[in-house]
Amino acid sequence: MTRSGKVSRRRALKLGAATAALPLVHIRTAGAAGKLAIAFWDHWVPGGNDVMQKQVNTWAAKNKVEASVDFITGNGNKLMMTGVAEAQAKTGHDVYTFYNWDVYNIHESLAPVDDVVKYLIGKYGEVDATAEYLARQKDVWTAVPTSSGTQTKPPCGRISWFKKNGLDLQAMYPVKPEHTAAQDGWTWDALMKYAELAKNDGLTFGFGLGSNTNTDAIDMHGALFHAYGATMFDAKGNITLDTPEMTQCLEYVQKLVKFYPDDAVSYDDASNNRALISGKSALIFNPPSAWAVAKRDAPDVAKDCWTFSPPAGPKGRFVPTATFFWGVFQFSQNQSAGKELITYLMEREQVEERDNAVAGYDLPPFAKMLDFKIWETVEPPPGTVYNYPIRPWHKAKPSLTASEATPDIAVQVYNRAIHNQMMARIKEGQSIKQVIAWAKDELEGFTR
Amino acid sequence: MSSSTAVAGAVPHAQHRHHSLHRQRAWALWGSYIALGCFVVMFLVPPFYTLMTSLKSSAEISAQQGNPWIVHHPTLENFWYLITYPNFQTYYLNSVMITICTVAISMVISVLAAFSLARMGFWGSSALSTGVFLTYLIPASLLFLPLFQIVGFLGLINSVWCLALLYPTLAVPFCTWIMIGYFSSIPKELDEAALIDGAGYLQMLWKIFIPVAMPGIIAATIFAFTVSWGQFLYPLAYLYTSNQMVLTVGIISDLIRGDVFQWGKIMAACLLASLPPILIYAFLMDYYVAGLTAGATKG
Amino acid sequence: MADGTSVPVGVMTPAMAGRRRASSMKRFAQRRSTIAFLLCLPLILLVACFVIYPAFYAIWLSMLNKKMTQFVGLGNFAFLLKRNTFQLVIFQSCLFAITAVIFKALIGITVAHLMHNIPGKNQRIWRGLLLVPWVIPLALSTLTWWWMFDPSYSAFNWILNELGFSSVPWLGVGWIARFCTIVVNVWYGTPFFMIMYLAALKSVPDQLYEAAAIDGAGAWQKLFFVTLPMMRNIIAITILFSLIVTFAEFDIVRILTGGGPQDMTHVFATYAFQVGIQSGDIPLGAADSLFMFPILAVAAFFVLRGVTRRSKEIAA
Repeated sequence: MTRSGKVSRRRALKLGAATAALPLVHIRTAGAAGKLAIAFWDHWVPGGNDVMQKQVNTWAAKNKVEASVDFITGNGNKLMMTGVAEAQAKTGHDVYTFYNWDVYNIHESLAPVDDVVKYLIGKYGEVDATAEYLARQKDVWTAVPTSSGTQTKPPCGRISWFKKNGLDLQAMYPVKPEHTAAQDGWTWDALMKYAELAKNDGLTFGFGLGSNTNTDAIDMHGALFHAYGATMFDAKGNITLDTPEMTQCLEYVQKLVKFYPDDAVSYDDASNNRALISGKSALIFNPPSAWAVAKRDAPDVAKDCWTFSPPAGPKGRFVPTATFFWGVFQFSQNQSAGKELITYLMEREQVEERDNAVAGYDLPPFAKMLDFKIWETVEPPPGTVYNYPIRPWHKAKPSLTASEATPDIAVQVYNRAIHNQMMARIKEGQSIKQVIAWAKDELEGFTR
Repeated sequence: MSSSTAVAGAVPHAQHRHHSLHRQRAWALWGSYIALGCFVVMFLVPPFYTLMTSLKSSAEISAQQGNPWIVHHPTLENFWYLITYPNFQTYYLNSVMITICTVAISMVISVLAAFSLARMGFWGSSALSTGVFLTYLIPASLLFLPLFQIVGFLGLINSVWCLALLYPTLAVPFCTWIMIGYFSSIPKELDEAALIDGAGYLQMLWKIFIPVAMPGIIAATIFAFTVSWGQFLYPLAYLYTSNQMVLTVGIISDLIRGDVFQWGKIMAACLLASLPPILIYAFLMDYYVAGLTAGATKG
Repeated sequence: MADGTSVPVGVMTPAMAGRRRASSMKRFAQRRSTIAFLLCLPLILLVACFVIYPAFYAIWLSMLNKKMTQFVGLGNFAFLLKRNTFQLVIFQSCLFAITAVIFKALIGITVAHLMHNIPGKNQRIWRGLLLVPWVIPLALSTLTWWWMFDPSYSAFNWILNELGFSSVPWLGVGWIARFCTIVVNVWYGTPFFMIMYLAALKSVPDQLYEAAAIDGAGAWQKLFFVTLPMMRNIIAITILFSLIVTFAEFDIVRILTGGGPQDMTHVFATYAFQVGIQSGDIPLGAADSLFMFPILAVAAFFVLRGVTRRSKEIAA
């Protein structure tokens, strides 16, 4: 995400100023009425859907819109499949929810929402760079990044085990706006040291190397590669595997994968959760859902969990993100109502109300909303997810795997799990040269 | 069969070897039982594990300790949760409704078509009877995208009734084929006699063929039932509110939350969802085999 | 004159009568074929609307470029063929489908034979038990399998460990994962073969066996010279049906491995899903899905033609 980071900031400021000058009625008077069908992501936290339904009802009653809401699960790729099919058939919902790359895959079927996003940026600050990368195509916002479901995937570690081994997670990433010295020492090399200790202890770090059902690992390894500056493509679509950074990164990987679980290749997104909850793993990269389930099924484990920033590499500290978007289909007969609803739902009061209902799982994509109280209060232990959002003093950047390439290429790198596959091959004993040769052949197929 | 005359003459000769044959048969019988037993054990390992998991509490499952094949603290809470869970009741009802409709539609279509193809024929009918089987060549994973357009055109997106239109495409070709086989096995003299009596074709179908072909019809019905009860991809793509979902997709979308699997409940739901087909097979199995026996072999 | 009505009955010549019968036969046939066509109409409509039209749409899609703005003919197919990964997918699809079908057929015929050996009244319960895998909705039973193969808490590994063996990474090593996907498919599909074969076995007349016994045929000879030839049609149809369905397999691979490790378990449908739906290259995914169509269609054509010819011989 390094590529668009600077640009977006500058542009965001400019746009913010521009939109602030515009009378807000610009969006308000579009005149909502009639019918509106919305598909939201089926929130896995109990109660998450109810508060959303309530907010939509409030808005619908105020604007005399007949709004029907569907909550569609992400399981079995259902949310995505229905979205693709609706775009192809040009029929279905007016407003639809897209997860991560899906918004890019479908952006040509979406109505521009520049006015909404610029208004929100003007009011709530800079937008997450990975979200912009995915949804802003050819300088036009094709969907609005939302908070509902949006997450980062930072490490979640066992406090007691790390303390026993000399690292106080709670002191390193405390529940206050403070950059500690220990944070600077939290590097990928340090992580490897603890991974080895864990292995000797008969525990694991629950890292997977699965294929595309293992997005937790794809995201984590994207952040690792970014931290070493190891890229697959440049922005022009040239393959960049033969760089010192890539070699350095893979040399590190060669050492690290020794401490991966033996069955890492067959991991999927639920495996690391189970590893943590069963007490077999001292660290995983995951949103706080694993911790939340532990709270229910293994309370002792949950009490011992701390979420904190990922380690840093030579090129900086990168936090894996996964963003949800709300888009308005071009075929919608009621685009203005759709945009108004999205705007309403993305106002701070609504976002915070929803976030409180889901125990802070949702991360707002706008900078000025990252001061909700909820992350300080969620427990046990109190403040366990305080460092789940990317805080300014973390000195970390959001990372979306393969986003150094243009999205049409990167989406293939991501979904084909190239990072995981390269690492899996190294774990299997292939040499760096062999792995790079394999990857090159694979990447050439993506540039068509 | 031409061999029957030869057999008649040779029977006394066979009697001599009767005793040793008998012993051999008894031995073969026990061998068969033992081998079948082995196969049954192998086939039933996953259902057994499903049953065991369904009786565990979620805490026991996530502890990941001890023998996973037995239950340490059996509980019926998963079953109880599902039975009293309104969504699950809806899924069940929808599944039953859709399956009944699918079976009815499939049977009407395939019996009519099979009668026509087996007994009447028209220009291109033999190509059609071969070609209809080829529809299986287009995988559902490819069809669901263009089908969305058609389903949308009919206004049936997110309506459980769209499945009553789509499922028959999966059942009809095979059912038609079973029925063609069965109808072909009915002697031609029967319809000639009926035609001389002045019966129309539909009368003939209704009064003669359907009653005679009942076992075949039951076999085809059971096949259609199995297909429509277990289909996954179409409901996954076309249904998204819980009041419209059927069991397969409902279970997946309701009991898996994000990356959290509620295994106990999933397994319990899996067993409850398998109940109707198991019952149907238990009661209609003999017809099924008999129907296939007469129909399928003629192909 | 053609219809013969204007000819006085008394002067009708034999030739005329013959012509008259011919023409009414013709009309009769016409009526008959019209009715026949009407009876087939629901089938034709169903297939045309929900299979043929979408299939042609899919074929058209497979010939567009990635952005779906330009017609590229067979370009997508040519592109796919050149990719190493896709060659792996072709290999794996064939390996998966052919191995699975062979095992389903072998085990199915074995079990059907065993079943046929035991007295009819005892068969019911055995048949019932052996049909269970076919009866549980596949998407759900595959979840159970996946849970049993699961890396962190595999029920199979627990048994292995108890017996003193080390754990097997069921879905983590390419060839083992391939084996697992095939096992699940065989487990699910065998009962269907079994029931079809059992039905076919029952329809072989006993006299044939007795005749063979008199000719001194042993059990194997009976199998090869009586049973199998009599069951040829049903074996051909069942294998064809299963081959087509197995080549289109999606649920098992998607749920168990998602195509990994290292793409070694990808079959056409799962790979198509990954490039087509997930990575937004719908035309390439469609081309991938259609890849086996010509080969299977030709195979199906010959198998079905053979079946029809044989059944005509039997009927005659």
